[in-house]
Amino acid sequence: MRFAFAGALLGWGLAWYFGRENPQAQQAVSVLLSIGLAILVGMMGLAGVMGTRALAAERAQLEAIEDLIELRRWPEAAMMVQAFLLRPARTAAARAQAMLYLAMVLVRYHRFEESVTVYDYILREVPLDPGMSHAVQLGRAMALLREDNLLDADRAISELRRGSRGIESAGLALVELYRDVKTGHPAEAVEIFEKQLPVMRRMLGHRLADAWGLAARAYDLLGREPEARQAYANATVLAPQVELSRRYPELSPLAEKFVATAAPAEVA
Amino acid sequence: MVPVDATISRVRRDLIIAGLLRAGLLSGALACVLAGPMLGVHVDGMFLLMGIGAVWILLSVRSMQGTRLAADSPSLIAAGQYEQAEARIDTALRSFSLFRAGKLQSLHHLALLRHAQRRWRETALLCQALLAQKLGGLGRLPRATLLLMADSSLEMGDLAGAFAAMNRLYQYRLSLNEAQALQVLQLDYGSRVGAWEPMLANVGTKTQMSELMPPPNAARSQALLALAAWKLGHRPLARWLRRRAELLANPQEISADRPVLAEMFHEQWDD
Repeated sequence: MRFAFAGALLGWGLAWYFGRENPQAQQAVSVLLSIGLAILVGMMGLAGVMGTRALAAERAQLEAIEDLIELRRWPEAAMMVQAFLLRPARTAAARAQAMLYLAMVLVRYHRFEESVTVYDYILREVPLDPGMSHAVQLGRAMALLREDNLLDADRAISELRRGSRGIESAGLALVELYRDVKTGHPAEAVEIFEKQLPVMRRMLGHRLADAWGLAARAYDLLGREPEARQAYANATVLAPQVELSRRYPELSPLAEKFVATAAPAEVA
Repeated sequence: MVPVDATISRVRRDLIIAGLLRAGLLSGALACVLAGPMLGVHVDGMFLLMGIGAVWILLSVRSMQGTRLAADSPSLIAAGQYEQAEARIDTALRSFSLFRAGKLQSLHHLALLRHAQRRWRETALLCQALLAQKLGGLGRLPRATLLLMADSSLEMGDLAGAFAAMNRLYQYRLSLNEAQALQVLQLDYGSRVGAWEPMLANVGTKTQMSELMPPPNAARSQALLALAAWKLGHRPLARWLRRRAELLANPQEISADRPVLAEMFHEQWDD
């Protein structure tokens, strides 16, 4: 487009130079240049419209991936992320978003090491706003815990705690709760759960089931069976027992010990 | 505070002026190209064409500045910084825009702000003004405006207005988030007109959709489903849904401005 403009300007300059002595030639060149310029402006407009449409299509693709992840349609989400990342993205932000979705899909398929690599890449290469950075670091810390990389996970949690500067984070509370259950510190886990429950209730939605499940495990480890039973019942009201055990293998012993709340026939 | 009625009038006037200006500039550009060869007028069309191009670019840049100014307002509204959002929207609405999309987007942001401030009448007025415009090619804006309109109408007790807005939403293919918002509105509407059976239709899908919603909507949606289930005698389902709602949010918060839910949470559901 720049070359076309430069060509038009050059043509206009030449027409002016040679047309000084021949008015008829000047007239003809002027008409041709006017038509050429009109076509050029039209092409610019067309290129703008096509560029905008391509951007909108890219955005729609990312929204579709997000919807698939939300709907837990993981195979389709994985295929779409792969298709998206195989082509160059139009914006860096779209590419970063797709990378984040890739990390989430990898976690779902229990490929924690690879997801940590993707999270590390995002944190290293992509400029993120504080909220987004916090979310990515939370995902990374959770993947490290699932990978049993407890030393790095603890370091990541400490960084998160320092970075949060006293601002309440339900995600951070959940990661800390999981760390304490995983490392055999049930008293600390119960303390975090009881202190942070109002915040988690406000922010986690149905992922609150994770917190109730982990709390049930902590109560169980402490030998507080009535509380453990109630917490497990609450967890399984919000999420199926199978899903909880898949997310946190540490909760599997509870399935044998306590009765999960069954979903009514109408929604089962 | 930005007066809504005056703002709507000013935006309508600005849209007409911008439309006339666009038509004038495009006609001028066409005349520059065609006047010489077709009408035999001896003017230097190139200079005029470049002048028109420069004016177009200048006005486009000014329009972009106004649009960019208001672009942050939804995040400010979400963060509860209403005064800052109001100031930005006001500046964007007062600035000249050559393009309709920028002006209509700013008007939509004002509707969002009024909705967050719980000023339902003003929200409905802004939504009506927006929906009276041609909104094709503006992406999500018509759907988001209809959702705002339906919610504001429900809050004002205008059930016919809410029904009309929800009905119009069926013309569009909704995103997942929009479908979730529509589900909460439909359940709210159903509870007000006592349409318990339609509320409970496809309860499995509705419950799954509720699980994807942010906590307040997830809780309210399942509380409304619990109420419908109780009214229709599905006792175990009603108890299960109510328990979920109570775990997700404080019953007082769920039932704010919804007496029918407040009544439900006060009742003991024992056989």
